[in-house]
Amino acid sequence: MCKIDFLDTGLCKSGAEKHYVSFYPQGRMDLYAALAENRIPVTEKCIEIADTCDLCGICDYQCYFVTEMKPSLVMKALKEHIKLHLDSGGEILAAESDSILDGLKEIVGDYWATSDRAVALTYSHDPSPVAGPRLPEYVIMPDSTSEISAVIKALNSHKIPYAVRGNGSSVMGFVMSEGAVIDLGRMKSIEFDEKNWMVKVGPGVAAFELQKAAVKRGFRVNVAEPSALVCANIMCSGIFSLFSASYGTAADNYIDAEFVGHDGEVFRLSDKSAPNLFAYKKEDSTVPGICSSAYIRLHPVTSDEGAAFVPFDSLEGALDFARDCAMRRIGLAIGVLGGEYLSVFLSPTKKLAAEVKDIFREKLKIEYLVLVIGDKFALRSVKEMGYNYFDNRMMRILNLGLPSLSSAKWLDIIDELSAEKPYSYLGLKHFPDLAELALEPSPAKLVRDVDPELRSFFEKLYSKPEMTDPVWLNMFRVVSSRMGREKHVIPMIIYLPIDNKLISEINSEFKRIADSHGLKNDYGFITPLDDGKRCVFEYDYYLDQNDPDERMKMQQAMMEAGMMIERYSAETGTVTWIRYVFSQGFSRKESFLYSTQ
Amino acid sequence: MTRIKKGVIDKYLLTGATGFLGSHIMAGLLLKGKSVVIIGRSSAELPLKERIRKLLRWFGIEHLEGFLEFHETDFLKKNLGLGNDEYEHLCIERLPIIHCASDTSFAEKNRERVMKSNVGSLTEILNFACRSKTRCFHFISTAFAAGTGTTEYHETPVNSANFTNVYEESKAHAENIITVRCIENEVPYTIIRPSIVYGDSVNGRSLKFNALYVPVRATLVIRDIYLVDVRKNNGQKAAECGIHLDIDGALHLPMKIFIPDKGKINLIPVDYFTKTVLSIIEKPISGTFYHITSNNPANMERLAAYTQRLLNITGIEVVIGTPGSDETRNAPEELFDHLIKPYMPYISDKRIFKRENTDRVTCSAYPPDLSYEIFEKCMAFAISADWGKKLFYS
Repeated sequence: MCKIDFLDTGLCKSGAEKHYVSFYPQGRMDLYAALAENRIPVTEKCIEIADTCDLCGICDYQCYFVTEMKPSLVMKALKEHIKLHLDSGGEILAAESDSILDGLKEIVGDYWATSDRAVALTYSHDPSPVAGPRLPEYVIMPDSTSEISAVIKALNSHKIPYAVRGNGSSVMGFVMSEGAVIDLGRMKSIEFDEKNWMVKVGPGVAAFELQKAAVKRGFRVNVAEPSALVCANIMCSGIFSLFSASYGTAADNYIDAEFVGHDGEVFRLSDKSAPNLFAYKKEDSTVPGICSSAYIRLHPVTSDEGAAFVPFDSLEGALDFARDCAMRRIGLAIGVLGGEYLSVFLSPTKKLAAEVKDIFREKLKIEYLVLVIGDKFALRSVKEMGYNYFDNRMMRILNLGLPSLSSAKWLDIIDELSAEKPYSYLGLKHFPDLAELALEPSPAKLVRDVDPELRSFFEKLYSKPEMTDPVWLNMFRVVSSRMGREKHVIPMIIYLPIDNKLISEINSEFKRIADSHGLKNDYGFITPLDDGKRCVFEYDYYLDQNDPDERMKMQQAMMEAGMMIERYSAETGTVTWIRYVFSQGFSRKESFLYSTQ
Repeated sequence: MTRIKKGVIDKYLLTGATGFLGSHIMAGLLLKGKSVVIIGRSSAELPLKERIRKLLRWFGIEHLEGFLEFHETDFLKKNLGLGNDEYEHLCIERLPIIHCASDTSFAEKNRERVMKSNVGSLTEILNFACRSKTRCFHFISTAFAAGTGTTEYHETPVNSANFTNVYEESKAHAENIITVRCIENEVPYTIIRPSIVYGDSVNGRSLKFNALYVPVRATLVIRDIYLVDVRKNNGQKAAECGIHLDIDGALHLPMKIFIPDKGKINLIPVDYFTKTVLSIIEKPISGTFYHITSNNPANMERLAAYTQRLLNITGIEVVIGTPGSDETRNAPEELFDHLIKPYMPYISDKRIFKRENTDRVTCSAYPPDLSYEIFEKCMAFAISADWGKKLFYS
């Protein structure tokens, strides 16, 4: 998340200028750990990486928002480590002469290809429990399709294997290689073609950056996690979000794309002679090449959009409603969320999340929430369907008043307020007035437990309307990053019909498997697809990637979960594991949602 | 009517002993030196025995636990879910049965659950009553099982088909089933119909805080919300609803409570209920219905006045009728309306419950009127028990 400006603080200055992940807080943390453990020597780049950190503290704001950690402590430690090393006359490892590297530098420019171990280290691992670290020989940052093409040809000629890296947010070991890592982070072009309702994006553009640019022009795009790169995301498994309920997924999200094939040749998907990436085959696939740009669909936005969080005490009830909305084409974004959404995502600290966690389940009796984002007509329809919900105003009150929730006396009469009909109090015209009075919401209140050094920043942050606007939050997905606040998330994702019994069974199985290995786990979300005929279901397993024992348990759990999915897939003929969509994200969704066999 | 065979009964079988009324009957029996066989269920948190122990401590009679016998049962299962030996052993004792277990939800959304609990479960309980040739089957029903339609209700079987809610309906249905089965099988029975039961008139203690307590609690919550606004924010939001602090420190909380009729609220304290039930089961007359009701019910105006005095507020006005279409309801009024909606039929109730049979048993000892002193005691206890949250710590 430190590579996107999601808090409007500006980016880490050196990262934005030098682009290598090594110059971002994320890379510096990895580097310091390796230096402290004597895993790498001090190199020329080490000195540059340490020197270019001006200890501005932006990374503290960003990282604290997501994980409550303050990386500037590590940045300081890195600078001190290098200073001590230099002061004591320590050796500085210079880059060795290498004809292959020289050739790569000729293509991309001197600065944008390196074999420096300090840089290579920051590209050597991810939190995947199934892939160990791999230190690349070279890291290359091309700036154009022609440069990518030339780099591929050069690597092929030397038989050097390579991996392509977006933002490194793939967490399954796909972006590592002992040969070369091609980092596309410099290719950040965004070109709008409004009359054709599309935007051409370079492979280094992150979801947040594209959405921000689109919103500025009055559009919306369907993108995934804010730090995920758009092209890489499509390439990997296709983009799905709660907006996929209306915008679709996979091939629905783009109009055309440009690729550099494994042979280094460039092709466009719209070329008649191009490989047919719209086709799909249920198999473990490899990527068809490097997506060097994609033409993403733009969607209209109306000024009357709002959110409805409809509470449910059972998954079945939530699924029925979500399916009904999708079938009737009510709402743009639809998601069946777990009850923890309100506590974990909205709380700025773990402490507050823990305090309010049980309130939603035990006092408010909210097990699941169906989020519907739509225009005023869609929201009116939800009301007419007989459902009461937390609207934008109530969500703002709840969010900024979260710290008062555990002591709110009025919650004690919630049972009486719901006696006739569950959550009927949400239908009272003046309920938000009373809730506002009782919870006394304010940005200052929400951040009262935040680190005192950062508190005033966060108070200002939460004073911004968008930070409590459910539509904005779901478009940009900045708060959902908090799900990994305590442990790394391994999402288990499947496509299947919205069949209550089937989903309940699989949900229970996911839980049973993780519980049997003592792994933290939780329901993720379900979003209807294709008019509610299918859905995408995410169940999350959590991992401490630094704990070897937990990595082993996770491997076992993932294997068992995989076998379970395969069993349901064989029995029903309607369940598709995302494993078989990997590398086929440009295909038509119909191909993997339905079977013609 | 036939009097049931004479003889001192020193042991009863009781269902619903973990509930409000059932626990008071249990305590009453124990204090009279009787033994009680408890049949019931464990909760998710506690086994049956522990649930009862908690109650014994609450009543201050834990030393009488030795007079209790426990049987874990499931009324929906054959032979109450008991093993053959245990079941037969219980049958042999021919104990009088007090069936008090009940689901008291009024909500239509809970219809299936309420009917299952209050009607569906009767089959096995009555099978047991017949099989054991119980000395008498006492059914704790409700005065409101009489239904609606007329104003005067006698202590006779239900002949109304109109009910205010599923609870009343289920109780009426149960009464009819019990009557038919008991007559067919020559099992002596009584039907005991209390009205709305609140806390103890002597010490204010209660185990349940619904009905009478709900509007008071709601008013307290509303008062406290606005008091914070008045004290912290100069009452800006409060002023929008015409709420302000009076000179004498009382909160002026203008709330019109609309009730459809100038009716009454038939309330009895739990100590009176218990005493009357014990009198009935001591000398029961088979086939008899007993109304344990107030002969001088309170009205909403009186309760509103009590509430204002208790909470140091002014401005509550009880209005007969329904709000006009041009009547705008402020936030407290809207919340209050919503909260008391399920109780509306009971707070403007025109039904009069005749109680000749009960008068005969109690020698015309009537329940005490709900005076302010009793009301205050009950509400003080409720507040000290945090409306049930601190019930077992107070």
